[in-house]
This record gives sequence, structure tokens and C-alpha cells, in this order.
Amino acid sequence: MKKMTFSLLVSSVLLLAGTYVNAQDASTILKKMDNVMFSSKDMVGKQKVVLISKNGNKETRESTIKQKGTEKRLMRFTSPASQAGISVLSLPNDVMYLYLPAFGKERRIASSAKNQKFAGTDFSYDDMESKSYSNKYTPKLLKIETNVFVIELTPKASSDYSKLIIYINKVNFYPELIEYYDKGGKKVKEAKYIFKKVGNYWSATEIQMTDLKTNHKTKMQMSEVKYDTGLTDDEFSLRKLKD
Amino acid sequence: MKKTTLFSIILLVGTLIARGQDTIVSQELQEEPKFVISGEFLTDERFLLKKDNDWVWNENRLTLKLDKKIEKKSKFHSEVWLRNIGLPNIAKSSDLYNKGIIDPYNIEIREAYIQVIGFLTKNLDLKIGRQRITWGTADKLNPTDNLNPYDMEDILDFGRHRASDAINLNYYINNNFSLQGVFIPFFQPANLPLGVFANALYPTMELPKGMTLRGLSDTLLMSKYNLGESSTAGFKFKGMVKGFDFSLSYIWGRDGLPVSTRNTFIPVDTSGGTNINSQLSYTRNHIIGADFSTSVFGIGFWGEAAMFLPEKDVIMTNDLSAFYPMSPVPVTQDSILLEKNKPYVKFVVGVDYLFSDGSYLNLQYLHGFIHEKGSENLNDYFFLQYDKSFFNERLKIVPIGGAFIVTDWKAVKDNYAIVYNPQIFYKATADVEINLSSVFFFGKGDNMFANLKDYNMFMLNLKYSF
Repeated sequence: MKKMTFSLLVSSVLLLAGTYVNAQDASTILKKMDNVMFSSKDMVGKQKVVLISKNGNKETRESTIKQKGTEKRLMRFTSPASQAGISVLSLPNDVMYLYLPAFGKERRIASSAKNQKFAGTDFSYDDMESKSYSNKYTPKLLKIETNVFVIELTPKASSDYSKLIIYINKVNFYPELIEYYDKGGKKVKEAKYIFKKVGNYWSATEIQMTDLKTNHKTKMQMSEVKYDTGLTDDEFSLRKLKD
Repeated sequence: MKKTTLFSIILLVGTLIARGQDTIVSQELQEEPKFVISGEFLTDERFLLKKDNDWVWNENRLTLKLDKKIEKKSKFHSEVWLRNIGLPNIAKSSDLYNKGIIDPYNIEIREAYIQVIGFLTKNLDLKIGRQRITWGTADKLNPTDNLNPYDMEDILDFGRHRASDAINLNYYINNNFSLQGVFIPFFQPANLPLGVFANALYPTMELPKGMTLRGLSDTLLMSKYNLGESSTAGFKFKGMVKGFDFSLSYIWGRDGLPVSTRNTFIPVDTSGGTNINSQLSYTRNHIIGADFSTSVFGIGFWGEAAMFLPEKDVIMTNDLSAFYPMSPVPVTQDSILLEKNKPYVKFVVGVDYLFSDGSYLNLQYLHGFIHEKGSENLNDYFFLQYDKSFFNERLKIVPIGGAFIVTDWKAVKDNYAIVYNPQIFYKATADVEINLSSVFFFGKGDNMFANLKDYNMFMLNLKYSF
């Protein structure tokens, strides 16, 4: 009886230790991925968004994008004509403004917009956020495959997702695939990443998000990306939003 | 003429300033100056739902926008409407020689201005020319938005304004706070509703017993075109503290909608037939405004209020002297419309929420519509819209949209109006949007929307952007 108790105790300690080691590994890996994704001071570039319906019909939108740190971003649509000039400014603490040229003024966006699809794409505002994953999620290492670490992420705060499963490249630590699960545990979306080195940084040149319920896809392609150009906070103000 | 000359001088000075600035900033050039033409074509057709389905609106509008970066820190912007608007009003054969009657059209310069960013100092922006200066945080109904005159041509397009010829300075204290100063040299009145909406803003006229209205004429008393009489000035302080946006504003200017200050009654027959000539004038007000917007627990909140203080008491005089030819003194009745010491406040508060299934809810409560003046005359308006988008925002349906209006809370069932405006938006292509909608008016009593109850209509609107 004593022996059995001792065995259980040892097993429990080992199990806990294993979990601890896994947790440590998972958070280290995730932090490395965050460093790869969010280490630049700022970024400017052009973005092309291709919406692909399940029938293969395509619709293209283009925008310019500026970003400073992980919480300041200004996106301005340049095409199609019906959306040209529409701009979105994201600031810390979920402060977001939308500028619609037809109204000639900025409008504060309710932060419930974070759960919405962004501009008709398969990305939500939440997906588009560039906050570090370590801050938003609790990681757990699920397995190690030949080329990737597979990590499960559980949201720390309220989210539309119950979990994310992320496949991180073992050599360069950028994400190759992210799977999104709804509250019922069903996989609802997946994002495939293509990374390329631009200067000192790994840059996601294309992200393909697929809505698995509707089989609708969105390809987000980045071009003319420049890092660390010295953007100031002035670039992320209402003055610039309307410019 | 004087107006045109002064405005031209202002625009010329602005251009010269802009060119001067270009020289200063020429070393900072990073982009080639670009000349961009964009715009849209809109067709808007409406017919009544009642018997015969009369057409009530026909508009084909070509909006041309020209943008030119003069240099990196200054730009020219203009927007012109080329329109065919209205239905032919042909009464005699000679009208057939006039294309303007057969096929009414007009051209309108909506905006034309030069903007200099970093004028004199890097934190100051200058905009000179015809421009729309939008104030307020609410959706379309903005009590604080009083610098530009209302464009009330289409009464269903609430809150549309024309631009004003203005000098507009914005000083950015930092990224969270700014000061704005606006000067508008000439007063420009609001234009009134067209077609079936023409009389929507006017209350029913009540005449003494035995008197029948035979004819109505009016004389508009415009202010003199000089700086003291016709100019408007405005200031605004705007800021954001801990996610809370706010602004405080002040305007000294004239109300764009006239009030009747003298009515002269003239008998024209022995059976009580009367002609009335009204003198209409534009009151001048101090307007103190405040607004805010924020987001709490995912819900958007906004509000704005404007307090109107008339420059002087506004009195309406009914001159009945013509009925009493033997009276040694004029026979008049005075009634006070607005009191200098009795300011009135119009305000709006609203909330909105975006649901995770793509639907959107927007609620607003407004006290005091565009044309209402004086605290006793301000009515209550509740606006509601719920919409839901489908197929990646290609299709948007607004099953619930409209307003509930109460003009007398003590007798609501006889003094209310309901407006129901369901809509369907469909994006045929990325740049073509079709909007099918209907509007239904119900109500009782003397209020603007109840007065429209015979004008339930179907509307088709197509917009192509380029």
C-alpha cells in the first residue's frame, strides 16, 4: 500500500515536473516567435488583400500600412475606389478610429468591432492585432514534429476562440500555420504563413486565412516592407488619420 | 460680386502661402506630386407607394473629386457635383425650347480648398477655401455642427450640409489635444427641401376664425455683406484622455434657417380672404457646444449638446392695421419667439454595438431637430437601426430602421410620428452598390414626419465609385 502511494506520489511529481518543463518550453518557444514577429521598432508597407469565394471568384483590396511597436497601427485603403481613403487607426487600450472620407470626420469604433470581420475579410480585428502572443495566450506544448513545434494557446482574456493551435518553425521560430477553434472546440479558421527575411527581420509576405465554415479565403500579401524607418508617435494621430 | 472678389483674394493668398510653404519644405520631398481624379456616379429614383405611383425624386449625380499634392505638405482638393435633378416641369410649348426645364440640371462646387500642413510652425494646419467643417460625434444628427449651412434639399438625408468659404486653422498641441479656429467671412443660408418635401419644415398656419388665406408672400431680410454683420467665427478645443474623446466649442454666427419676424395681413375680399406678407430674418446666436465619444465594455457611447443663446430677443409682429383703416395707430400683435436670456439646448446621445455574427445596432436619442428653435419647441426623436451583413459584406439588410417622434408627452397618441425605413444594400461589384429601400410615415399631430404620411415611397439608389 505504502509502495503504491509512493509510486503515485513519484508519478505525480514527475507529471507535474513534466508539465512544468513543457510549459517552460512552450513559453520560451512562444517568446522566440514573438521576437521574430514583433521585434522591429516600426514597419511601413503595402498590403494587398485578395478575397476568394468558394467558387473561386476573386476581389482585391489594397492599402498602405504603418505600424509602431505592437499597439499603434494606421491602415489606409487605396483601392477599390469605393473604399479608397477609408482609414483605420488603432491605438493602445483598444482605442480605434475609423475615417470615412464621405463624412469628413473620424469616428470612434466600439471595441466590440474586435470580434468583427475586418473589412469583409476572413480576419477579425482581433486576428489583425499585432500584440505579442505571449501576452494574450497561455501556451502548452502539444508535440514536436520534424520541422515544427505544435503549441496550444488558451486565451487569457475573453475571446471568440476557445484555443489556437500554432505550428512554429523549429529553425527560425516563425509561425507556419495557426488553427482557430470556436467555443465548442470546433476548428473554424486556419491561417497559413509564408515568411521571408527582409533586412534583419523575418517578414510575413503572405498570410492565407481560410474560413472553414464558408470555405472563403483571404490572402493578405505584403510588399515594399521597410522596418525601423524611425516613425514617430505623430504618425499615429487623428491629424494623420485624416491626412 | 464683392463676395466673389474677397473669396478669390483669400484663395489667391492661400495659394501663395501654399507655394511659399512648398519652397520651405522642398528639401523634405519624398513623393512625386500626384494629381488624382476620383468620384462616383449616383442614380437615385423614388416613387410613391400610393395609387398612381407618382415619381417624387429623380437624381443622376456625377461627383468629381480632384486632388493634387502641391508638395508633400500642402494639397488642393475639390469636389464638384454635375447633376440632373428633378422632374420636367413643362407647362407650355415655349418650355420645350429650354433644356433646363425639360431636363433640369445643375453644377455645384461642393468643396475647393488648399490645405497647408505645418503652416508657419509644424503643429499648425491651415485650410483656406470652400470646405466642409464637420463638428460633433453623433451619427448624422449633430447639434454642434453649425458652421456650415444645412443642405436640406433631400429631407431624408438628415444632417447633410453644404460647404462654406472659410479659413480654418488647427493647432495640434500634441497627439491628444488640439485647438481649432474657423472664420467664415460670408453668411450662407441653408437651402430648403425640394419637391414633395418642400413644406415639410413648416408648421400648419392657424388663422383667426373667419379669415381665409388667399395668398402668401415673403421678403427675406438678409444681413449686410460686411465683416460685422455676415461673418461667423468658431473655436474648438478637442482632446482625448484615457480613451475618452471630448471637445468644447463656441460659435458666433447666424442660424441658417430664417424665422418670421413680421407678418402683414391684408384683406382682399369681403368674405375674409387675406393675403399675408412675411418678413423673414436670420437670427444670430452664441452657440456653446460639447461632445464626447468612448467605448465601454465593447459598446460605443457618444453624446453632444449645443446651447443656443440668441443675440437679442426675437419678436414676431402680426400687423393687422389693414383691417382697421380708421385706427390712428398701427394695430399689431407681438409674440416673443426667442428670448435673449432664455437659452435653449439641443442634444443627442447614442450607443452602438457590433455583434460577433456581423450584425450592428445603433440607437440615438435627439432632443431638438434641425429646424426647431426655442426650448418649448424642441421635440424628442428616437432613432434605431439594426443591420446584418452577409457574404463577406456583399449583402447588408436593414430590417429595422427608423424613428419614433413625440411632440407632446402629455398627449402622445395624438402627437407622434413613426418612420420605418427598411433597406437592402447589395455590392454588385467592388465598386457598384445597389440600395433598395422603402420609407413609411405614420403619425398624428403637427410634426414634420407626421406631415409626410402621404408620401410613403420606394427608393432605388445605385452608386458606382471610380
